[in-house]
Amino acid sequence: MLVELGLVLIAGLKFGAIYALAALGLVVVHKATKTVNFAHGAFAMLGAFASFLIVVQWEWPYWTAYLLIPITIGAVAALLEFVILRPLRRADMFTVVIATVFLGIALGEAFRLTYNTELLAVPGMFAGSPFVYWGVIITQETLWVIAGALVTAVGCVIVFRYGKLGRGMRAMAASVRGAQICGYSVDQVYMVAWCLGGALAGLAGVFVAPIAGVSVELSIAVITAGFVAGVLGGFDSLKGAILGGLLLGVIESLAAAYISSAMKNCVSFFLLFFVLMWRPEGLFPEKVARRV
Amino acid sequence: MFKRFAFGGVAPFVAVLLCTVLGLALENYLKYVIAIALVSMLIGVALVVLVGLARCITLASGAVMAIGAYTSTLLMTRVGIPYLIGLVCAAATGALAGWLIALPGTRFRGHNLAMVTLVFQAVAIILLREAKWLTGGAEGIHVPQPVIFGWRVANDADFLLLIGLLSAVAILLLSILVRGPFGKNLQAASGNEIAAEAFGISVPAYLRAAFVISSMAVGFSGALAAPRIRILDPESFGVLPSIFMLAYPIVGGMQSVWGGLLGGGGLRILPEFLRPVADFQELFFASLVIAVVMFFPGGMVELLRRSTGRLFSRTNKQLAGEAPPLPAIIPAEPIAHVAPTMPANSSEVLLRVEGIDRHFGALHAVNAASITVPVGGIHGLIGPNGAGKTSLFNIISGFLEAEQGDIDFAGTSLLDRPARDRIALGITRTFQHVAVFGQLSCLENVIIGRGRNAVVDSIKQSFDHFVGGRAAEAAIREALAALDAVGLADQASKPASSLSLGNQRRLELARAIVSNPRLILLDEPVSGLASDEVEELRQLLSRTSAERQIAMLVVEHNIPFVAKLCRTLSVMGSGAIVAEGNPKEVITRPGVRQLYFGEQTAA
Amino acid sequence: MTRFREPCIYLASVVIALAISCASCPSIAEEQGVSATGITIGGMGALTGPTAFIGTPGRDGMMLAINEINDKGGICGRKLTLQFEHASSPAESLAAVKKLTEQDKVFVVVLASGSTGAAAAADYVRTNGIPTYNLYGSTPIIREPFAKNVFHGAIVPVEVAARDLIAMFYDDGGNPQKFGILAGTYAFPQATLTAVEAYLKEKKADYVVERFDQSARDFTSQLVSLSRQKVDSVLILGSFSEAGFAVKQAREIGMSNVRWVLDGSAVSKAIIPILGNADGLRGYFNVPYFPGQTASMREFEERLKTLIGSMPQGRPNNYDMIAYGSVFVIAQAIQATGCDLSWPKLISAWENLKDAGPTKMGGLDVTFSESYTPTDHQGNYRLGAAIVRNGEWQVYRVLDKP
Repeated sequence: MLVELGLVLIAGLKFGAIYALAALGLVVVHKATKTVNFAHGAFAMLGAFASFLIVVQWEWPYWTAYLLIPITIGAVAALLEFVILRPLRRADMFTVVIATVFLGIALGEAFRLTYNTELLAVPGMFAGSPFVYWGVIITQETLWVIAGALVTAVGCVIVFRYGKLGRGMRAMAASVRGAQICGYSVDQVYMVAWCLGGALAGLAGVFVAPIAGVSVELSIAVITAGFVAGVLGGFDSLKGAILGGLLLGVIESLAAAYISSAMKNCVSFFLLFFVLMWRPEGLFPEKVARRV
Repeated sequence: MFKRFAFGGVAPFVAVLLCTVLGLALENYLKYVIAIALVSMLIGVALVVLVGLARCITLASGAVMAIGAYTSTLLMTRVGIPYLIGLVCAAATGALAGWLIALPGTRFRGHNLAMVTLVFQAVAIILLREAKWLTGGAEGIHVPQPVIFGWRVANDADFLLLIGLLSAVAILLLSILVRGPFGKNLQAASGNEIAAEAFGISVPAYLRAAFVISSMAVGFSGALAAPRIRILDPESFGVLPSIFMLAYPIVGGMQSVWGGLLGGGGLRILPEFLRPVADFQELFFASLVIAVVMFFPGGMVELLRRSTGRLFSRTNKQLAGEAPPLPAIIPAEPIAHVAPTMPANSSEVLLRVEGIDRHFGALHAVNAASITVPVGGIHGLIGPNGAGKTSLFNIISGFLEAEQGDIDFAGTSLLDRPARDRIALGITRTFQHVAVFGQLSCLENVIIGRGRNAVVDSIKQSFDHFVGGRAAEAAIREALAALDAVGLADQASKPASSLSLGNQRRLELARAIVSNPRLILLDEPVSGLASDEVEELRQLLSRTSAERQIAMLVVEHNIPFVAKLCRTLSVMGSGAIVAEGNPKEVITRPGVRQLYFGEQTAA
Repeated sequence: MTRFREPCIYLASVVIALAISCASCPSIAEEQGVSATGITIGGMGALTGPTAFIGTPGRDGMMLAINEINDKGGICGRKLTLQFEHASSPAESLAAVKKLTEQDKVFVVVLASGSTGAAAAADYVRTNGIPTYNLYGSTPIIREPFAKNVFHGAIVPVEVAARDLIAMFYDDGGNPQKFGILAGTYAFPQATLTAVEAYLKEKKADYVVERFDQSARDFTSQLVSLSRQKVDSVLILGSFSEAGFAVKQAREIGMSNVRWVLDGSAVSKAIIPILGNADGLRGYFNVPYFPGQTASMREFEERLKTLIGSMPQGRPNNYDMIAYGSVFVIAQAIQATGCDLSWPKLISAWENLKDAGPTKMGGLDVTFSESYTPTDHQGNYRLGAAIVRNGEWQVYRVLDKP
């Protein structure tokens, strides 16, 4: 009984860690630019696809994927910010939403055109025998995903909080004019934000490729989960994104096991709904100064 | 009188009928395509109301459409209810769905609202899928052919006719609402909530109405399309189709009915043109959408305007707002006012504020403040920054609650009354940061100032406006007179956002006087103005107060302005009223000077 | 007033453009799609989107067969041409079939789409009588009510599949005590689930059901539940992606000694890399051999590669072969009319076809042959029982109508 619970929780944490990483990238971009990038899931899919190329097609060592892919996808994201989002900087919020949504769709279709298959499988980084704690089996891969994704996420939060870059982004989000006066360049900050968000998405893709495969559905799953986790955590809170992601993963898993596997999404959405009603600022919001 | 409505409001209706008629002349497959496109046009217009005017993002259009489609189909197959009634029921369940979404939805904006609609969308589709006994589940159900009074709607021409007529009527109704006071008030509500509330527009009520009306139309269109689709399955109404529908108003043009028509019809028909490149169809589609929104932020409507603007000799200078044509003659005489004429220096008290108290945490923002404003009088309120003027002002105007004290306005207590009730009582206000409704024209701004802006009233007024009824004419006349009084009559049809700051302040004043209020609350009316503009505005305020017997309560920092304008003055410091009386006398008091300049009383 | 003149003009021009872009034609005719030199076959399926793995092989398989037949001189002295329309939702499927029938005016319509699309299309073709060939749709809503002009090919009805799936649990000494079913919540698995449950109830077998959403990737919760209820035989109704990760995760949580049987859409080469070692997995296949299993299969793969250039992962899949075989069935039906090419003649010839298939016309032996009767328009009732051995799928026996 407890073993079961343990297995379900571990599975929830495994995907929860991915959601946390995905939500983090989304929130980073939003913190700096005040826009939600709905193509974020597509970046994760591209990261997973790149992982397939590196590991399966070209047979390079696995660690190169973890190193090269965030850089590459970050660059791609920065490029797309420059080409598509910059002209839209003054546009309506809805216009930006639609632009990023269809950008995600376009990227998904572009991928499908190169590799017209339902799913591409990618092997995991660690294939050794699993660990067993108190009867609960944890594969090496699962442990790697949970640990790796969380460490990366927490590291990112630290960088953001204490680094100059992070300060610039937060300043920009609070007041564009003010930040400009202080010497921050809007173009630079936005591009860096997208780069960072893209890198996080790409990294999430590398982590998720062995456990979910490369497919266009991955793109949709990541953006949905990332968005929901972000809202759950309080959309501008980095810490909230991580905790929201973990919470979402665990709740989904528990709901599927103990309530109904068919209505799993229903349950997690209902829960979200209650969170929104009760605490619209999210479960783990960053402190905001009250304006009198 | 009928000339006016013949153009603006009816044009979309005529366009839809035109499409129908032309479609009837084409071959069957095209009839089918056009019929489906017409339904999408209706959805586009419905979403313009919600997304464009009310500025609410919705990811639930698919679910609402499904609810409408399944309602009419299940009623037909299981209960044997005829199609027309099924359509009405679909509109009703659509409206109910909209109301359900709005219950929590009007509390949120931005991504939280997106989340609420996403929850509704996902849960609705899951429930439809799981209720196999009712809906046939994931495999879907057949939709029978509709029979209307014995006429079996079977072939493509029949369907096109049916869909064409019904969607044209629905689009007409929506157009009337969009172009009339309902649409304007809705834009005001979503554009500037505080100003809207100050003039009697209940923002939550309007947003709710937008959800209900929009969802009613979307549910109706689901039922309209169902017999053409023949099989209903829940997945066809999933999140992806919802997102595509969200694109209709955004790609078409968010502020007008035409945007809905172009976006809905255009995006629905686009795949037909992409058939030759079937493998790349979705890629092309997505790229085209991105290109349109990138280069034409106003959507396809803007694309058209820019390209055909060159074809026609008269370039169209107007922006999104569509102002009604103005009557040829502006009445010369001012409007008779309601209030009985009273001498300017009446001593009868109009507004009595007593002992107002308010804390923010440990800060005692307003400390037992009391102010009286006589009928027709002009009373100033000054004080250094942080003295609590704004808090007191917001309490009087209904945007902040008092903890203690009373506010009496000609015998009625204002405490515990929401801001939106003020205008009906005869109180209006202006704002420190100019709060005109930018996308609306000056005339429309002032018309809102007349009050009577409840949802149901505005819907009635929209129909009246459409047929050019007397009430609508009166509204325009009064608004023009108010604009004339402040010297803006020639700017009546310009969008408010195109005015200079000084003119925007005049517009705010016009909006505040048109309803013949008894009291206007002015919040720093000359902040940001140059000295000659300050003097102009002072004269305007003086004149207006005298001519129309309007009392004023003015919060300001500009002492000379206040000294010249106001007959009585209160000075606030650290939350309390520290001085009161004749301006010239009050200003020279040592206590007041110490408050402002820190002068020592004892030299 | 200029303000609305522009959109009016736009709307009018769109409509006129539509009118110009295709000529006005009379209503559909029973000899349409046939000219002195050619016969047009219409096809419909998803070329993009999540079900592209069904529609694209449908089109490619058909093209391969058409090329072969044309190389040998065609049928009735005429060359075959393919008009394929993309459609990925029921609404699009209906539009595509309408276009094929009324605008492109094809002679025969082939439905190469998943179940919901085929259902929408079938509803339409029943009313206009065009000979229609449903290749991949298996749900009951497509087959009922019976229509004289609709034929069903290689993919069997769900009742047949259900029976054969359960039969595979008993092969090679299998002795199932408790069944677990892992079923997707979308159309096709749900239809199969209904049939499977009916069959298991009839046999008074002990079973439990867990479900998952389409494209789900985490099955731990469902597997934990199945494991707790001590199932020893698990049937997975879903795609190869879903089945692959389900089996992988089952192994990760220690579920061993379970026999896995997969529904036909999961039986694909592409599932092997997900698991690494997939030996022992069973499932049914809609054609008698797995790609690579026989010489003709290898030849088929070569020819397909030549046609489409490169071989995407997981291809050829059963949809390729079925589409290939279907064109030969149509060709033989056309031949059997005695080259009197009209719909009534085609339908009556088709209804009396026996053992139609590629081998009868010099094509490759890659599908089950099909036989029809005037009251039974299901051409094929056979399935291949397949198992993974040494990292490759092989069909080890043929399951037939009892």
